[in-house]
Amino acid sequence: MSATEAATGTTCWSCGAAAEGGHFCAKCGAIQKLPRGTDHFAFFGLPRQLWVEMGELEKKFLQLSWKLHPDRFGKASDEEREMSLERSSQLNDAYRVLRDPVARVEYLLSLEGMRKEGATKQQAPPELLEEVFELNESLDELRSAREEHQGAAQTAGLRGRLEEAARNFEARLTDVDAQLMTAAKEWDATVGSGDATAGRAALAKMNEILNRRSYIRNLVRGVAEELGTE
Amino acid sequence: MGKTVGIDLGTTNSLVAYFDVATGKPRCIEGPYGSTLCPSVVSLDADGTLTVGEPARRRLLTQPERTIYSVKRLMGRGLEDVREELRLFPFRVEPDSKQVIRVRLGDRVFTPPEISSFILRELKSWAEDHFGETVDRAVITVPAYFNDAQRQATRDAGRLAGLEVLRLVNEPTAAALAYGLHKAQRGLVAVYDLGGGTFDISVLKLISTGEGDIYQVLSTNGDTHLGGDDIDNAMIAAARTQLGEAGAALSAEAVQELRKALVAAKHELSEGGTIDVKVLLPGAAGGIAYVRHWSREALEELVTPIVERTMGPVKQALADAHQKPHAMEEVVLVGGATRMPLVRRRVEEYFGRVPHTSLNPDEVVALGAAVQADILEGGVSQGNMLLLDVTPLSLGIETMGGVVAQIIPRNSTIPASAQDTFTNSADNQTGIVVHVLQGERELAKDCRSLATFTLRIPPMPAGMARVEVKFLIDASGILQVEARDLRTGEKHSIEVQPSYGLNDAEIEKMLEESIEFAEEDFATRQLIEARNEGESILAATHKGLSSEAAHALDPSMRAGIAEAVEALRAAMKGQDYKLIRERIETLNRDTGPLAEAMMNQVLHVTVEGKNLSEV
Repeated sequence: MSATEAATGTTCWSCGAAAEGGHFCAKCGAIQKLPRGTDHFAFFGLPRQLWVEMGELEKKFLQLSWKLHPDRFGKASDEEREMSLERSSQLNDAYRVLRDPVARVEYLLSLEGMRKEGATKQQAPPELLEEVFELNESLDELRSAREEHQGAAQTAGLRGRLEEAARNFEARLTDVDAQLMTAAKEWDATVGSGDATAGRAALAKMNEILNRRSYIRNLVRGVAEELGTE
Repeated sequence: MGKTVGIDLGTTNSLVAYFDVATGKPRCIEGPYGSTLCPSVVSLDADGTLTVGEPARRRLLTQPERTIYSVKRLMGRGLEDVREELRLFPFRVEPDSKQVIRVRLGDRVFTPPEISSFILRELKSWAEDHFGETVDRAVITVPAYFNDAQRQATRDAGRLAGLEVLRLVNEPTAAALAYGLHKAQRGLVAVYDLGGGTFDISVLKLISTGEGDIYQVLSTNGDTHLGGDDIDNAMIAAARTQLGEAGAALSAEAVQELRKALVAAKHELSEGGTIDVKVLLPGAAGGIAYVRHWSREALEELVTPIVERTMGPVKQALADAHQKPHAMEEVVLVGGATRMPLVRRRVEEYFGRVPHTSLNPDEVVALGAAVQADILEGGVSQGNMLLLDVTPLSLGIETMGGVVAQIIPRNSTIPASAQDTFTNSADNQTGIVVHVLQGERELAKDCRSLATFTLRIPPMPAGMARVEVKFLIDASGILQVEARDLRTGEKHSIEVQPSYGLNDAEIEKMLEESIEFAEEDFATRQLIEARNEGESILAATHKGLSSEAAHALDPSMRAGIAEAVEALRAAMKGQDYKLIRERIETLNRDTGPLAEAMMNQVLHVTVEGKNLSEV
């Protein structure tokens, strides 16, 4: 075994056997260094697909926790403790992302170079423009009513209208989630078929849906906060 | 290599425990006073002698300005964080305290980690006395809701006490470990931990797997400024109001005397319905008498707002775990304050379940720490159980306009990590400043600043630099930062300046200075403490005998006291600290009637004085 091979992780650092990319050496059982750039899907040995069986994922998470957690390496060498820290932190990060359907899509999009952190567009989707306009107007009215120290009785009608609008937007969220699900299935199919063009199209669609989703969510949250501040 | 222990470094009391291989169970170690509880009190004599624990607690009454308690409230905090504390606690904080608070103790000045290290050393010596060998590693518990700075301060205290801190474990989680051993319950468990100065709530899932049991924390929340101390302060405030002008003008000694009496009454009221408190406080004209008939109802009226303050965090923790109160299959109570019937009722009402109270709420955290120590040392527990804990607060970095970009959300299982890439925004800029924060608010100014560091880069056009920073929260909940230049692949060294806390150089310096407080032989120290205590009771007895009240004593009582005084004097000349302590107890018992007579005397004077003025 050459030093470079060991450093790049193609062989086991402990026994020199060919490394097969697992968490542990198949031959001697030693924990392996985590190669840089391992993605969350690969970490769990999953294809880059959005359908994830939750029960299986949790089971695997617990199994790997049992093996990789720093508690298992209390008496190990500094190097092994470092490997355990790296692997168990990615295990936790990966599980956190993969078990949440929306975070999972966002993660896939960033892996595929479709989405940059913090670069989401905060523009109202065209079909919602009118409703958003009305909602913002009601919100403004409520704020100025509050500045004039009007009581709950005077703003009751306004609050009712806002609550209804928030409920409508929440219902839209359910639609949006259903659309996301459909697009996710399209993506998963292209992973199987290898159709790159269709794959890009599915990703673009999901990106657009996610933008809409985060816009609506912020809207609903904004209303809830405004109504809750009295 | 020495032994490893588990330590509960509490606000009011601290404990040390170990995992007993013979029985397969954790056990708390008793100190020289026959209790497993070491009061978290430190006192410094004029001659530089440190006293810790029970004798220091007694000194709160005689030398309050040389004695400090509840120092945990100051750990990892800045001056502006503790304004409220300074109003309620007799901390003598140096006004020029900057990143780290400095507290005056007699004629010396210490940081909170140093004072905590004195407590840790005391516990270390208890354990060493028990094992007859060195103890040099420990698992120390912290409130689950402690932030990074508070955790670092605790770790620093361990280091200053000569202990390698293998892990910091969250208190409610440690309690769950001990609880799990005690009862083979599986499923969802809520741990409600109301201690001396902090409140935590954790929701856990106990899972049996083929390998062993996994204790997975789903969420945690709390308040690091809320505990039994607040109840004591509320009682003291009520008493001072009752005493009127005299109450407002109480000396430090008198306040401590009052605190002692009220804390005892609080404990009594957890058992009984009423108690008469009668105490003579040092003050002008023979003293100030505080007399009140305390009922449990009166106490509960003071406690209700404090208990209600715990409910916000409880609701948030359940929401974060996506659970309903009734889904909890067990509710475990931890912390001395959960002995209060009101707390138990409120918890039972909220969760719809009778809480589990068969574990000693004082010891359970230390026992769990001992189990975690055994896990880390590869003992039998390692094969049976694994703890998966979470970070209590979201981690973020400051971006444009003072907005925080969250990179690790709260309740993420730890260790957890996040990466971010930074670039230069101007041509030839040679440093990129990164500000790391903890908290749930959107603006940096509303979050807790953890640290600031600068990434050094060679001059180049704007947007060309690419530095990847990895933020990692380790299994103790402490942040580590690592940077890598993506163009060269080289690791960047970064000097992290903690916003609140000690840097390595300061700790080194303290370690050097601490040699002067080096451990004296355990027995020698006990002897000195016992003699000091003997001196103070002899002085008090002398004062009592020469007072008016002494006339009320019959000759046989006087003779008894004289005999006990002589016996104590003789013992104090010897080397046996246990004998001295025994005789102190005897004298204490024999002077009981005298103390009562003095009390009655003052009451009499007070009442008469009142009558006269009213005539």
